[in-house]
Amino acid sequence: MAKPRITIAVDIGGTFTDLEFRDASTGAAHSLKSPTTPDDPARGLTDAIALAGARFGFTTADIGLILHGTTIATNAVLTRDLPPGALITTAGFEDVLEIGRHARSDIYALRGPDRTPLIPRRHRFGAPGRIGAAGEVVRDIDLPMLDAVIEQVATSGAQTTAICLLNAFANPAHEIAIRDRLLARCPDMAVSCSHQVSPEIREFERTATTVLNALLVPVIARYVTALRARLIEAEITAPVYLIQSNGGAIGLDAAVQAPVKLLLSGPSGGVLAAQKLAQMLDTPDVVGVDMGGTSYDVAVVAGGERTIVTQGEIDGLPVRVPMVEMHTIGAGGGSIAFVDPSGRLQVGPRSAGAVPGPVCYGRGGVEPTVTDVNLILGRLDAATFLGGRFALDLDGARAALRDRIETPLSLTPDHAAAGILAVVNAKLAASIKFSLFAKGLDPRDFALMSFGGAGGLHACEVADELGITQVIFPRDPSTFSAHGILSSDIQHDLSRTEILPLTPGSLPAINAIADSLRSQGGALLDADHLPDDKRVLNLTADLRYRGQAFELMVAVPDGAITDVTLTTLRERFEDQHRQRFSFDDPAEAVEIVTLRLIAIGILEQGARPAAYAPSETAAQNHRPVHMDGAWHVTPVHRQLALAVGETLSGPAIIEQEYTTLLLPAAWTLTMTVSGDMTVRKRV
Amino acid sequence: MSRPDPVLLEIVSAALVSVAEEMSVTVWRTSRSTTVRELLDYSTAVFDGQGRNVAQAARMPVHLNSMELCLHHIAAHHIPLDDWRDGDVIVTNDPYSGGQHLPDFIAFKPVFKNGERIAITCVLIHHVDVGGGAAGGYNAKAVEVFQEGLRLPPVRIVRGGMMQDDLFNTILHNVREPETFRGDFLSQIAALDVGARAMLRLADRYGVGALNDIGSALLDHAEHEMRAALSALPDGTYHAEDFVDGDGIEPGQKRISVALTISGSDIALDFSGTSDQAKGPINATMATTTSAVYYAVIAACGVTATVNAGCYRPITVTAPDGCLVNAAFPAPVAMRMLPGHKIATAVLRAFAQVLPDDIPASYYGTTFNHAVNIRHADGRRQVYFDSELGGWGAHPDQDGPNGLAAGFHNGQNTPVEMIEALFPLRFTQYGLAPGSGGAGKTRGGLGIVREWEFLAEDGLLNSAFDAFESLPYGLNGGQPGQGGSLSVTRDGQTTQLLSKTIGHPLRPGDIVRMQTPGGGGHGDPTQRDPDVAKQDRSDGYVR
Repeated sequence: MAKPRITIAVDIGGTFTDLEFRDASTGAAHSLKSPTTPDDPARGLTDAIALAGARFGFTTADIGLILHGTTIATNAVLTRDLPPGALITTAGFEDVLEIGRHARSDIYALRGPDRTPLIPRRHRFGAPGRIGAAGEVVRDIDLPMLDAVIEQVATSGAQTTAICLLNAFANPAHEIAIRDRLLARCPDMAVSCSHQVSPEIREFERTATTVLNALLVPVIARYVTALRARLIEAEITAPVYLIQSNGGAIGLDAAVQAPVKLLLSGPSGGVLAAQKLAQMLDTPDVVGVDMGGTSYDVAVVAGGERTIVTQGEIDGLPVRVPMVEMHTIGAGGGSIAFVDPSGRLQVGPRSAGAVPGPVCYGRGGVEPTVTDVNLILGRLDAATFLGGRFALDLDGARAALRDRIETPLSLTPDHAAAGILAVVNAKLAASIKFSLFAKGLDPRDFALMSFGGAGGLHACEVADELGITQVIFPRDPSTFSAHGILSSDIQHDLSRTEILPLTPGSLPAINAIADSLRSQGGALLDADHLPDDKRVLNLTADLRYRGQAFELMVAVPDGAITDVTLTTLRERFEDQHRQRFSFDDPAEAVEIVTLRLIAIGILEQGARPAAYAPSETAAQNHRPVHMDGAWHVTPVHRQLALAVGETLSGPAIIEQEYTTLLLPAAWTLTMTVSGDMTVRKRV
Repeated sequence: MSRPDPVLLEIVSAALVSVAEEMSVTVWRTSRSTTVRELLDYSTAVFDGQGRNVAQAARMPVHLNSMELCLHHIAAHHIPLDDWRDGDVIVTNDPYSGGQHLPDFIAFKPVFKNGERIAITCVLIHHVDVGGGAAGGYNAKAVEVFQEGLRLPPVRIVRGGMMQDDLFNTILHNVREPETFRGDFLSQIAALDVGARAMLRLADRYGVGALNDIGSALLDHAEHEMRAALSALPDGTYHAEDFVDGDGIEPGQKRISVALTISGSDIALDFSGTSDQAKGPINATMATTTSAVYYAVIAACGVTATVNAGCYRPITVTAPDGCLVNAAFPAPVAMRMLPGHKIATAVLRAFAQVLPDDIPASYYGTTFNHAVNIRHADGRRQVYFDSELGGWGAHPDQDGPNGLAAGFHNGQNTPVEMIEALFPLRFTQYGLAPGSGGAGKTRGGLGIVREWEFLAEDGLLNSAFDAFESLPYGLNGGQPGQGGSLSVTRDGQTTQLLSKTIGHPLRPGDIVRMQTPGGGGHGDPTQRDPDVAKQDRSDGYVR
């Protein structure tokens, strides 16, 4: 039998399952879309693989590796479709999960926010024993008391249990003891311990992350079981890895233990793709923006690498695991424009969603949306939208704009419509500025990479707002995530919190932690059967000035940590502090809070893109489009008719099946050899 | 002034708020004390060149709605605006110069373009210590402001871009934690600079004239929204009162009495009938009082536009000189949040008479600030400062949330693990207080219990608590929330302490326990949905 030559990347979305594969024998990559099967997503996956095999001529025996992005964890959280769970805490701290950090975001509201905790109070139990701040055992676990607690958990109906004790990041002994005792009583219970899920200081964030993990274990376990059954049925024996929120891959067994790491599995594929395309186009500093119907996701690739944060949020819940840094605002094609009670024009964050959708969809929407305005201004074409399969109601959109915006604000139709776009574009630009500002970066040093269904109509104008002069449109924005997943590597994130001054006296402790993390990372890569030359271990330190609440992540040079390393770390920290906050404080002591190890197993899936060649014939079309403050009869091009090296000067519209790109007058587009398009502002 | 384009108005409005947010992020991420970085006891705002507050970051109503008053006071009585120069930073903490209490340092930075003052940025930070008779600035025995700490009149701490080191060192010399104070203060200055640079970018982009026009229009819009809400209410005068516990020096609760008069689109609030100013530090100056009234009126009006100084225009506040809510120099004011909360709850109670479906019962209505002066065995000293809050009042159609910031202030808690890593304390409980929410058709939210063991050689406990006796009121037949409490247990003997405690000695092994108030209930408790009541029992929210 020949060596397996096919690597497959699959991204299962709400509507479509996107697949891209690479054939090692030719280096070529191909992609396709097939319907998602919501009742059994694994069937959609094997269906897509079968479809690809039939279309492109490979068998299941040719498949060497499957990389898989999934939104199953995310959707389970968003819909709160989670199994019943229990929480064991240090006695006296059962309510930490519910109290949270207890600040509110809407300071003038008299109606409280919904704070339904993920685990109700009756299923939160306090255990005996106490670990102190330095990891010392203050009080041993009283076994009869513990057994009484475990009996309550056992009879609570919980399928899964989170264990989060105070200071467990400093000493996990009690969590381990309680877990073992619980498993002895309830062998089928899924158990998540905080020292494994998020071994870092701050009990609420650790508890919330551990609870989310615990509640997701049965969800992901069920999916993995179904997936394995489908793979056996389809006679696919290749190993499968899931994509984590950090963009790295993780084996199925490990994923079942740490499902909280999958919450950004879907979006991280897009960020990986942005990173890969940035590297390929030799444009190392890129802001990737994904604009859909309701949201706008912003991620940053700086110096050719995606940026990672150590804590994020999903649906208002803190999630403290490393993840691609993503800033999301509620703005998209479905965002609704309205006049508020004080007479001010507002756009979003309320969205018409898919149902009823924009007014022009004719499904009962009555408030004008961004998509309606794009149609009114000729930027979208009622005749060619989604390949012409979907008729749009232009008159309805115009009437809604007139009644709800023009009349109350005494604006002309053009002014109202262009104004709505200006407001939404300013919001999009502000979200990008915020993402970069938080890192002390200047938008003018970045290129804007736009993907997602609605982004192409806004990208150049948003870039203008920010002083960005280069925009990149990927060849196929609709399967962009799968494309990114294909370049994923195995990645394990390990961390250990111990607050230590950044001084030579701490060197023994620092080296001991570093050695322990390295050996743990090595063991995980052993389990992945990775040879030495495919392993990379990157150590970083979270540093801060003594007393600060926030740390900056600084890379630690390889090898043993010495006095010289400490000087380097301090310099790197102060460089970052100056860049982000415009000052540093050389007189102040610096401390290490957390050491982190990223253990990477290289999978070498960097596909060369299939050579691009035009697949459609050019057609000469024009239509009136409102841009740059006036109507212009504008040429309309088919994207897939453009030849490599061909350039177009704005104003122009470029259409393909799923997206439309708007090129304002000052911009010039060039089709590259890979089929991706770069757009530059003429100066 | 020309009427600005509605599109430009919206774009610039969002940009102004994001300037205030950028400043807020800078403070959050660079400050040093747990007060600022974990409790988030600070606020940021942007003013136009004439000193009108045009944008706020969503932090602390108590701060935000007093900044403009402070600015006007400084300009009118201390340093006229025309004397503010490029590169200056003006700062004060003086309650009798437009401030509220000494720990709050309010800093302003004028922003100039081509010699014209185009904006003023403002950052208020609650600093960890300000000298005086008690760590953290809460000297419960003070009878004059002089005993509460260092009082800084409005001064230029930075002049022409140069930090005035003589002055700064003088301040640092007078506070208990100079290093922490210094770190927080540098963070404050850095945030002012971030805001100033952002305002200059906006001026470059849109022009100074357009920026001014838009600022005026934003204020007009906010005023319009307030007046529309007020016009919808029946004209008349509505009376309400609420109470503050005694000041710890003289017995007896203090009354806050308000007459709320709606007349067309104007609203006047008069505090005649309020108790005379207290001997101890539970007084408020007009900056605090006005700020509390602004919060309550804006909340009751349900304003959705950006909150700014335009919201203040329909509101008039009056109070007799020398009363609890308009204290005369040199009355002590360290615990001004205590009357501040009750001013807000009294005003909301008056509103409940005209908006019965929209106004909830009283929230916990107080701030649980406490500090411990710590001495370690090796002689090292530390100040532990912390704060806590309680349950929301029940809304007519919704239970009050448990243990969540409400009303006149806002704040995060400090993680127990962070406290234990930094201070000689070991927590024995941090949780909700069952049964503390007022009963009603809808239930008040639960208060919070904090209990810890003191581990160091010795310590002095100070508290600035309230609502032990003056309970959060219920409405429409709902019960009041349970009050707060403070106790110390030594060798099995528990001693109940007063809400205002100063210098209570702590020894290793002492257990300090505090419970914050729950919110009031709304409606007749017998009308409560039996299924929901059953769930409450099963979850242990009620006893």
